[in-house]
Amino acid sequence: MNVLDVRGLTKIYPKFTLSDLSFSVREGSVMGFIGRNGAGKTTTLKSILHIVHPDAGEITYFGMPFASHEAEIKQLVGYAGGAVDYYRRKPVKKLLEVTKSFYPAWDDALCKKYLDVFSLDPEKTPAALSEGMRVKLNLTLALSHGAKLLVLDEPTSGLDPVSRAELLDVFRFLRSQGIAVLFSTHITSDLEKCADDITYIAKGKRIASEPLPSFLARCRETGAGNTLDEIMVHYEKEDLYEAFAE
Amino acid sequence: MKPLLNKELKLAASPLSYLFLAGALMTMLPGYPILIGAFFVNFGIFHSFQATRETNDVLYSVLLPVKKTDVVTAKYAFTCLIQLLGFALAAGLTALRMTALSGAAPYAANALMNASPVFLAFVLLVDLAFNVLFVGGFFKTGYKIGLPFLSFGLATLLLVGVGEALHFVPALAFLNAPAGERLGLQFALLGAAAVLYAAGTFVACRLAQRRFERIDL
Repeated sequence: MNVLDVRGLTKIYPKFTLSDLSFSVREGSVMGFIGRNGAGKTTTLKSILHIVHPDAGEITYFGMPFASHEAEIKQLVGYAGGAVDYYRRKPVKKLLEVTKSFYPAWDDALCKKYLDVFSLDPEKTPAALSEGMRVKLNLTLALSHGAKLLVLDEPTSGLDPVSRAELLDVFRFLRSQGIAVLFSTHITSDLEKCADDITYIAKGKRIASEPLPSFLARCRETGAGNTLDEIMVHYEKEDLYEAFAE
Repeated sequence: MKPLLNKELKLAASPLSYLFLAGALMTMLPGYPILIGAFFVNFGIFHSFQATRETNDVLYSVLLPVKKTDVVTAKYAFTCLIQLLGFALAAGLTALRMTALSGAAPYAANALMNASPVFLAFVLLVDLAFNVLFVGGFFKTGYKIGLPFLSFGLATLLLVGVGEALHFVPALAFLNAPAGERLGLQFALLGAAAVLYAAGTFVACRLAQRRFERIDL
């Protein structure tokens, strides 16, 4: 079963167009969403969360269209933006307390577990936390209400290698619980460790959306590269070469 | 709606929104354009909207399991709550000035607007201007506050000017009687202002919901 289906997603800005993007996220899978800066990753994630309005396309969660089931779907979806701070001068415990009031499925024990695992002090304010700790706070908010799908925008970008490794462990644990994770990242080595599927976009267009092993095998066969890093460089560098050639 | 209003009070509100309720105390000042007190109450609310941008409150709110339009309703509910607290304080002080203090020399010889039911009607009109021009303007973008606040400031200036000028019209001199005159008419005008405030705020909220629903954040 797919927890998220995106079909023909199109968003037109004056200087950028996200065109006809389609992909699906399966229940209990980890989907890596990659592309270089400006490729349209954040636009895509914002579109599927209804933060920006697509010009065309259809987005359904758990088989339900977002527009007519907004509040119901949001109960089942968690979001964490790596670089976003909420209420920097309010204590973490107050932020958790208020957030909890919106989610009947909020799990206090799970929340405490994440606070302990991430070594987060609920008495502190986000302003007193390091960037990596603020990412962990956002993850705690997204993970404590029993979401069936997590949408994470660059969740590992501010984390040290040990914290990243711990987070990947969390993803693997969530997958074992049937929870799907869609996360964008520049750190493609993280994806190779935990992603089941991959969606790769460049300049607003889909390059691939398929199981990671088959994508890597296909790229090896065509000489595009052996790792996601090499593959991205291969695709993007070709474009740059053509731009110079023109 | 209750959790959202709770979120407004506990997370989104600037402490200045509560502190500036003290602006209603200006109702007691003789020789001062006391309607400015209503401006200061709304200025306090303005600080919460300013903080909204810095705290990513709008993004946090739209990601909660609520309708996007409810985010607008909650902001209006918070705004009206603060305004009504300010109004209640001003109304209490107005009653004090019109009764126990009606014979006090500074009020008897006051060249500017005295506290009266019509003064309270003007307070509601200032509040309505804030709801229509500032809050409504804010939800055109979800983050811009400069132009909406400027337009509210100009509207307040106009309302204060009109309010202060009315009792200089000979037929309307009764508006400035310290103990109140023709109170039936004055309370009728206050009632009309209350209806206008409620209806205007409701319409402004609906329009803001539609605008906010359409914008990209």
